[in-house]
Amino acid sequence: MLEVDDITTRYGAITALHGASLEVRAGELVALVGPNGAGKTTLLNTVAGLLRPATGSVRLDGDDVTGMEPASLVRRGLALVPEHRRIFKDLTVEENLRLGGTTASKADRKARLDEAAEVFPVLRAKWSTSAGFLSGGEAQQLAVARALMSNPRLLLLDEPTMGLAPTIVDVVFDLLARLREQGRTMLVVEQNATRILQLADRGYLLRTGNIVASGTGAELAADTSLFDTFIGGETSGSTS
Amino acid sequence: MGTILQRTLRSTLGSAVLMAAVAALAMVYTSGGGASRNSLIAEMLSNFILVLGIQVFIGNTGVLSFGHMAFAQIAAYATAVVAIPVLAKEKALPDIPFGLSDVELGAFGATVVAVAITVVVGALLGVAVCRARGLAPTMITLALLFVVEQLVKNWEELTRGAGGLSGIPIVKGTGWLYLGAFVALVVAAFFQEMRIGRFSVATREDELAAPALGIRIFTSRYAAWVVSIALTALGGSLRAQSLGSVNPKQFTMDAGILVLVMLVVGGMKTVSGAVLGTVLITAGNELFRQLGDPERLDIERFPDLFLGVAMLLVMVLRPDGLLGDRDLMGWLRRKMYRPAKAEPIKAEVGTRELTARDVEVHFGGFVALDGAGLTVRPGEVVGLIGPNGAGKTTLFNVITGLVDETAGAVRLGDDDISTDTPVGVARAGLARTFQNLRLFPGLSVRENVALTALVAARHRSHRVRPDIDLLLAEAGLTEWADRAAGTLDYGNQRRLELIRAAALAPEYLLLDEPTSGMSDTESLAMVDSVRKVAGLIGAGVLVIDHDLGFITRISDHIVVLNEGRVLAEGTPAEVRANPLVAEAYLGSQA
Amino acid sequence: MTKLIQTVVDGLGVGSTYALLALGISLIFGVMHLVNFAHGELITVGAYTAYFFFLHGGSWWWMPIAIIGAAVLASVTMEFVAFRWVRNASPFTLLLTSFAIERLSHALWQIFVSPKQRAFPKPAWVFNQFRIGGVSFEVMDVVTIGVTIATLAITAMVFKRTMFGISVRAAAEDFDAARLMGTRANRVISGAFAFAGFLAGVAACLILMRTPAAEPSMGTDWLLKAVIAAVIGGLGSFTGAVVGGVVLGLLETLTRAYLPEVATGWDKFSTAVVFLVIAVFFVVRPDGIFKVSHAERV
Repeated sequence: MLEVDDITTRYGAITALHGASLEVRAGELVALVGPNGAGKTTLLNTVAGLLRPATGSVRLDGDDVTGMEPASLVRRGLALVPEHRRIFKDLTVEENLRLGGTTASKADRKARLDEAAEVFPVLRAKWSTSAGFLSGGEAQQLAVARALMSNPRLLLLDEPTMGLAPTIVDVVFDLLARLREQGRTMLVVEQNATRILQLADRGYLLRTGNIVASGTGAELAADTSLFDTFIGGETSGSTS
Repeated sequence: MGTILQRTLRSTLGSAVLMAAVAALAMVYTSGGGASRNSLIAEMLSNFILVLGIQVFIGNTGVLSFGHMAFAQIAAYATAVVAIPVLAKEKALPDIPFGLSDVELGAFGATVVAVAITVVVGALLGVAVCRARGLAPTMITLALLFVVEQLVKNWEELTRGAGGLSGIPIVKGTGWLYLGAFVALVVAAFFQEMRIGRFSVATREDELAAPALGIRIFTSRYAAWVVSIALTALGGSLRAQSLGSVNPKQFTMDAGILVLVMLVVGGMKTVSGAVLGTVLITAGNELFRQLGDPERLDIERFPDLFLGVAMLLVMVLRPDGLLGDRDLMGWLRRKMYRPAKAEPIKAEVGTRELTARDVEVHFGGFVALDGAGLTVRPGEVVGLIGPNGAGKTTLFNVITGLVDETAGAVRLGDDDISTDTPVGVARAGLARTFQNLRLFPGLSVRENVALTALVAARHRSHRVRPDIDLLLAEAGLTEWADRAAGTLDYGNQRRLELIRAAALAPEYLLLDEPTSGMSDTESLAMVDSVRKVAGLIGAGVLVIDHDLGFITRISDHIVVLNEGRVLAEGTPAEVRANPLVAEAYLGSQA
Repeated sequence: MTKLIQTVVDGLGVGSTYALLALGISLIFGVMHLVNFAHGELITVGAYTAYFFFLHGGSWWWMPIAIIGAAVLASVTMEFVAFRWVRNASPFTLLLTSFAIERLSHALWQIFVSPKQRAFPKPAWVFNQFRIGGVSFEVMDVVTIGVTIATLAITAMVFKRTMFGISVRAAAEDFDAARLMGTRANRVISGAFAFAGFLAGVAACLILMRTPAAEPSMGTDWLLKAVIAAVIGGLGSFTGAVVGGVVLGLLETLTRAYLPEVATGWDKFSTAVVFLVIAVFFVVRPDGIFKVSHAERV
């Protein structure tokens, strides 16, 4: 469904990605793990169209979508839950959700709003509150619910558990598991590598802008290069 | 850079060349004859002074001011009331206050008095302008423009209201205007050579990095303001004596915009840009004026069209102005630069410990730090690690005075530096770098380092200060020394930020993610760079980084932060073996 | 008491015009961090539109539609012709670009119409007065306040209820996040300019009914006051813009009315006093009444 081929992305003088490639097939949950500063967020933002890669290509359903505007990608069925959630704090919960359905028809938007209210009872309770007043866990659920409003076929999630209390982390992981059962294709960046790899079909390990290892979740979790990459061992090996 | 003599020579020489070029052009133009041509040159020269006046403030500090015309106006009216002969004054201003009815000064005296009065008024108001940040200073100057305009229009005893004042003795010829313009040029050029002028440029380039390196924004901005008001006043006073009359219409917002267009079209950062802009816009204006038909009052229309188009094109195509940062004085500076032959002198390791104890920081309801603390001993390298959101950068910001702690204390030896501002902390001996690189991007590589060396010369003189060129060589940047820092590649920018901090001769270097975005080999090289530079200046190091390969290699001691508290600390090997650390990074098994 | 009521009504009349203009400025600032000094030119466009139509037998019955339409069109054109090309430039560059447009606009009216003022008829009822309980009111003041309230109500509706309005508010808070929702950057910015044009058009109608004349640089004074009002309120805050406009209007009329009672002969300095108060205000509260925070990560 998604093929990222050899992309290099720069911010001014900084090259954050050095020719990274990965693939996500329909129905898969793919984990992207790696230490901070490895370029995970850059990769997701490049795929979602917020950043333009200097070289390489991004293909969605076989079509070249490199450098396309985010709005066009949303219309093609891609949604990103960005790092730090970036919910609109001055808007109410309902307004945040409605915005998520920008590309949907009026009827669809209405139907999905009702659905969101059902699936996320915590949000229904705060329907007309400014999103700025939500707790971290509520805000994260809102961010996911908002992305789901466009009914994406491919959902990208960037650090969905960052800054959340352990019990809330469980809630988010349950949510991911549920979405996966529904057959939603997902590419997830997550700092809790152990846990996301247990859940994922496959995983990629990113380090200083390069994919250094990949494999099924279990393989990658067992790979010593994972530990070394995070805790600072010698240069990592790779598994395929 | 260089001795006082060199700097004076440079600004005078550069100014002389620019002035000669302008004079030659003017000469060619006026040789065609006609009084109107002479008066155009006179107008250009007084604009020239006003443009240089606003360049000193707007160009060097990056703060937009609408208010300068108000000060030109104050000076022009001050000139009028002290210079108009007593008899004429009795008729025009019978109720003039302050015993001014008997005052009648000559051209020189009137100019001096007018500039002095304006500078006093400007210096008072400048305190408010220079303390404010963001858009507020611009708005304050806009409000001041209206205040002065209203005063001039309505304080009839002193100004004769909207009609204006005439009968100011006209000083003949353009020679004295050339002299005034030359003085303004030398002052503006020399200001950029002065310590305080260079500091104000640093605050323009980065409002956050400058204080973190010990540069006080207010002081440098205020100096620029006062000098700039003095030049503007000179321009206003000379204009009044060139025309022989003043009225409120000469100093409206429109007149201010004309001067501003001259500055931004040429390039506001440099004196050369100001000169070029003045000449080009004056010439263009005149050219377009002649397209108009005096019978149809076209005279004013085409110049306005030209101004609008010129400004729009420059903003879209060259937002830094035609010259950008190219400058005759800058060229001379590079040509005259001779590196001092310096032997590397190693500084003694400092004697004071850096400690942070029980630091708590609450942002609203969110607890970023919850009793974190650490100690760095003189000459030691301490690594600070932890997962995202652990509070590492917040702790850095607390230590360097950017964030106020809710509880806890930061000490350097016996001194409590908890309540110090970033400027105070830097001068006390802590130099930091930033996670997302905060160089002075438009300044040369050498100037980036030289600026902190200037701070060190004033505030860190008790320490052995490293030589600038030695530091540049250490970082492998000698070759790029004259390039703009913003054009370096990433690794070099990081190394530049490191030596810029080192040039402060600090007791501790605080490095926030010095290897982020670097490749493995670059990170490895950074270990050596940091150790060497720190050794040279005898500083201890506190370093945050996510690259644990780098951290374990460089650190003597590692502190692990998690959820705002210290989770573990010890030698790299101890920390690596600690299962709590692995869990914090990789996540638990749920 | 009578004087106070009349003064306050006067102040609300002027203040509400400022508020409409300030709201447009704040809106544009919200979506692209531009302090639009060309915003006042929309009033000028409205004025010349009215002048043109009155030459050919216009009537105040439908003139507001023409004025508002012209202002909307001019606002969108301004964005398309100029601001689009400097969209990602520094706020300083953006601001100077708006100056360039302001200059150009003045020049074009001078060249294609005339540097002189062009007058046209005013509605017959404008200066009529009526009395309630001993206090006399100008019809125009009441119309101004009424129209402003109605316009603000429409604005609130648009921003609360429509997808466009919600997108604009979202974009003002976090532009990239709004793009991730499927909002098109061009559309939301053009839309914001169109809406700002609508607000300026309404303001222009109110201004022109009182002073029915067109002049090349007529927009500038209004613009400067409106910018100050927007910054007093806190740039980017919509509520702030309205409050800032009303505060500025009241400040002006109250100073004019009551300053002579403090000291005789001071009335001519009322404007100077108002701006001095504003200067002091910015010293004390540089971010305005409603601070809009744009957190920066260090």
